[in-house]
Amino acid sequence: MSDFTTAPALPRARTLVHPGPVGPIRIEHRHANQARHFRLGMAPGKTMEDAIIQPLLALGVQSASMTLLGGKLERLLYCVAPPDPTGERVANYTRPIDAGAATLIFGNATFGRSARGEPVVHCHATFVCADGQVRGGHVVVDRSVVAGAPLPVLVTTLDGIELRITQDEETHMPLMRPFAAAPMWEETSRAI
Amino acid sequence: MGRVAYARVAPNEDLVLSIEKLCVAEGFRHAFVRGALGSLVDACFLAPDGGTRQVRGPAVEIVSLAGEVRTQTDGSLRAAITGIVADTEGHVHGGPFVAGANPVCVTFEVTLEEWLPAAA
Repeated sequence: MSDFTTAPALPRARTLVHPGPVGPIRIEHRHANQARHFRLGMAPGKTMEDAIIQPLLALGVQSASMTLLGGKLERLLYCVAPPDPTGERVANYTRPIDAGAATLIFGNATFGRSARGEPVVHCHATFVCADGQVRGGHVVVDRSVVAGAPLPVLVTTLDGIELRITQDEETHMPLMRPFAAAPMWEETSRAI
Repeated sequence: MGRVAYARVAPNEDLVLSIEKLCVAEGFRHAFVRGALGSLVDACFLAPDGGTRQVRGPAVEIVSLAGEVRTQTDGSLRAAITGIVADTEGHVHGGPFVAGANPVCVTFEVTLEEWLPAAA
């Protein structure tokens, strides 16, 4: 006889139907045998985008996953993702909402490349808005500016993995995906 | 420090179970979540009274995630994941995520760091 346990009923998870064809791979993954940790101070006066991208490029980092610790921002803009009224997508980002001079509580960010090969940062965070309300969402990193003191970031590099944004057919959204990284140096000739 | 894995999880896969499946696929027996962001259809947290609390989307944005995966005595893998989400108005909610009740909306990006215990 089977064993049964009593447990409270869970809210039924909803399965959404996206507008495009369903991709066959549901968990797309790669691993790096070696990774490095860096502590980065995001420079005051710079946009969050520049304050992350410039030092990472200088360190030769190609892709990374980051934890943003607490700190002050001169200005923070963010988006939330309600249902898309056009039906083109299941949900889509709103126009940027201005949180004013905000205090970052915690955030996560991914450093990769756009479809054109330009460095990009994708960041979600929770923060205290200038009016004292605690909010969260997708941070508009090219329009949010670091204040007063360097904002600490723990960087975990993903050496050998290239993160690149591609247009996703299933969701109709540009999404970050992992690829095998091209070697940074190519051997073109060999001296004997 | 062990290996580091990055995954992009597709719509309708469960947040907690996909982290466990990623460990199975990569051969990680123990791991910590190093970074994660993405969105859920609805979020479901364990409440202090033992019940559950649901945050309705879509989409509910994942804005903070912490957790680990441990191998159990029977050999199975179990992820314990807590975090904070933002609803469609930006209001935040948090707690332990209930396995099987947190389907991904558009995408879920997660980085795991393999943990190699000294005396495993």
